[in-house]
Amino acid sequence: MKKLALLMLEIKAIMGNSAVVLTMFAGVIFYSFLYPLPYANQTPREQNISIVNLDKSQASYQLERMVDATPQITVVQRDYSIKAAEEALLTHRNNGISGISGILVIPEHFYKDLLLGKSPVLAYAGDASFFLVYGTIIEGLANAGSTLAAKTKVSHLLTQGLPVDYAGDHVSSVKLNMKPTFNPGMGYIHYVVPAVFVLILQQTLAMAAGLMGGTQKSGHGYWRQYSSGQVFAVRSITLVGIYVFLSLYYFGVGFEMYGINRLADIPTMLAILMPFLLSTCFIGIWLGAILPRRELVTFVVLISSMPLIFSAGVIWPLEIIPSPIIWLSSLFPSTPAIQAFVAANQMGATLYQIMDKLLLLWGLTFLWGVVAFISFKRSNESD
Amino acid sequence: MTFRAQWQLFYRDKWLFSCLTWVPILLALSIWAIFFHGTARDLPIGVVDLSHSQLSRTISRQLDASATLAVNDNYSDVSQAKNALISGDIYAYVVIPGQFDRDIYRGQSPQISAFYNSQYILVGKLVSSAIISAVGTANAQIEVLGSLSDGNTTTQSAVGRALTIRTQITPLFNKNTNYTQFLVSAIIPALWQIFIVAGTILIITANAANKGAAAGSTRLSVGQVMTTLSFYIPLFLLQGALFLLWFYVGFDWPMNGSFVALLFAQFVTCIACMIMGAFFYFLTHDAARAISVAGAFTAPSFAFMGITFPVTDMNTAALIWRSLLPISHYIEVQVSQVSYGVSWIVALTQLLPMLGYLLPLFLTYLLITKRRNSSELAV
Repeated sequence: MKKLALLMLEIKAIMGNSAVVLTMFAGVIFYSFLYPLPYANQTPREQNISIVNLDKSQASYQLERMVDATPQITVVQRDYSIKAAEEALLTHRNNGISGISGILVIPEHFYKDLLLGKSPVLAYAGDASFFLVYGTIIEGLANAGSTLAAKTKVSHLLTQGLPVDYAGDHVSSVKLNMKPTFNPGMGYIHYVVPAVFVLILQQTLAMAAGLMGGTQKSGHGYWRQYSSGQVFAVRSITLVGIYVFLSLYYFGVGFEMYGINRLADIPTMLAILMPFLLSTCFIGIWLGAILPRRELVTFVVLISSMPLIFSAGVIWPLEIIPSPIIWLSSLFPSTPAIQAFVAANQMGATLYQIMDKLLLLWGLTFLWGVVAFISFKRSNESD
Repeated sequence: MTFRAQWQLFYRDKWLFSCLTWVPILLALSIWAIFFHGTARDLPIGVVDLSHSQLSRTISRQLDASATLAVNDNYSDVSQAKNALISGDIYAYVVIPGQFDRDIYRGQSPQISAFYNSQYILVGKLVSSAIISAVGTANAQIEVLGSLSDGNTTTQSAVGRALTIRTQITPLFNKNTNYTQFLVSAIIPALWQIFIVAGTILIITANAANKGAAAGSTRLSVGQVMTTLSFYIPLFLLQGALFLLWFYVGFDWPMNGSFVALLFAQFVTCIACMIMGAFFYFLTHDAARAISVAGAFTAPSFAFMGITFPVTDMNTAALIWRSLLPISHYIEVQVSQVSYGVSWIVALTQLLPMLGYLLPLFLTYLLITKRRNSSELAV
């Protein structure tokens, strides 16, 4: 009975703490709309380029049309010399207008060289300050170039007297079939959101747990009347309970809203969620206990977000992150949890395949549980 | 409050002191450490070679020879490779069909399939283009051999036949397409913004607490807030100047514009961020809530900068939110100065939207005076 009373008091304290409510509910819902916002269009398309056609042959005009027809590129202007195009690129930048991002040069004698089998060289120069724009244009040019190359080859073969069917099949001696797997549309939301949502859950839960401790540090209330162990347990259960629902919102409604895959079944989700939420809650309680003022909890958690998301191995590959950084970031539940959730939801991994991440999460739960309990007890029982 | 008294407050408050001095430096270094290797090399992939022939091994070797890829494993069947892809052991697997060499000799164009993990877009794109180019090279080698074996061509013409169109690609403004330069030079300013906005809140809190009691914040006058905050402007500007120095002198990344224009842009950005910090504080009158709001405001700003995902492909709502963030105006100046070396007049026009922060400044003024008046009435 006494424990039930404590639970009620704890829930009341959480709901009555405006900073906690603001962070937990308003924050979680606000972020679920804000983070995916810039990527709403999923993939960059129709990037502007200029073409300098020095050949002016039929084949080169055909190439221009092919380039323009790719979804990645729009030809917005034609220049008559490389110099003019360069100036156009720079003046656009100079005036702060997002004008052309690249220049394609079709060399003189392009058509002649093509017919002679001399492999003419298409030159492209693009603004690499923005990788995605640059990559998109390169992709579009490669598509257009290889299509024209294939066409030329087919007509070569036809002139040698081979039948059309045969020629079509023999554009190259090896055919390559590239299959993007798990995120077939290469959508940016599908790339960023599954990872970022996990981080948001961690950061807001850690803030909420820390703010509770920070708020109650000075002052007397029910938390002094019960044993530290009881308060610690009830607080963890309550916050984790609330976060199970908030997680359902993220992985259910949130993923649905953005059309993101959720391949994992509910037991798998819960198996990752439990140690993740528990260890996160413990980190929050620990921060609340060791930091002298509650706003510092929010501050510390806030500034840790960017290093944590970039070292989690989803945005930037683990293979090229220096190992000391990986060890450090593995101390925080977001790293194994992001990897486990992405593997289970986006790639359909089974529990067995993410076992190492689950073990790490339980290890962290134990570690942070002990650390948090010791510092919480010390802070709660001192005045 | 005199500068001397403010310095003592700043120096004695160990947490405030740390949060504004060595913590930002440590964080900046950690970001740099994450992206220390600016180019992705030797990303693990697998090969399922069902043909076990000399030609299929040529393909495998060609894949391994690519700087981006490393063939870590050979799998005997597709399901093994698929599991490895799901477990994250490899980023892609290439399936070479059985009878690969026979089909080539018969001119039947066998099909190689490559399954790459496009969940991780950045790695996915690198891996897929590396596979395309490696298979393309192997393909050309096979075709050249084929043409030569017909006996009626020279090597050069055989190469020409194999590769009908070649492309030469020149990246401008980031010559070795280095990710360290690309990402770090944008993430650090985004972090800097977080530190200024949240730091401003911590500074006002410390000063309000210094005034005594819980009602401290209501006793700060507009003048006091301004003098207090102006004490910290040089500190934030120093942080800004330090990262510029680190990037363009320390790392010697190419810098085509003027440092004066950049420093001026940083000054304007710093003031704008401090206005927002003060605005959040006096809106909530509570440090914890103010930092929560500041977090919601600043934490996603990297995504809105338009460095990773282009601004031209953002929708209107995203563009509106983007224009509210001081750092997105700053980054435009930084990119145009550093990459394109535009004139300082352009930098000034890029900073014009910052005048919009006069509105929150005015609102902050109202908030401070209103609170002060009402608390005076209460006394």
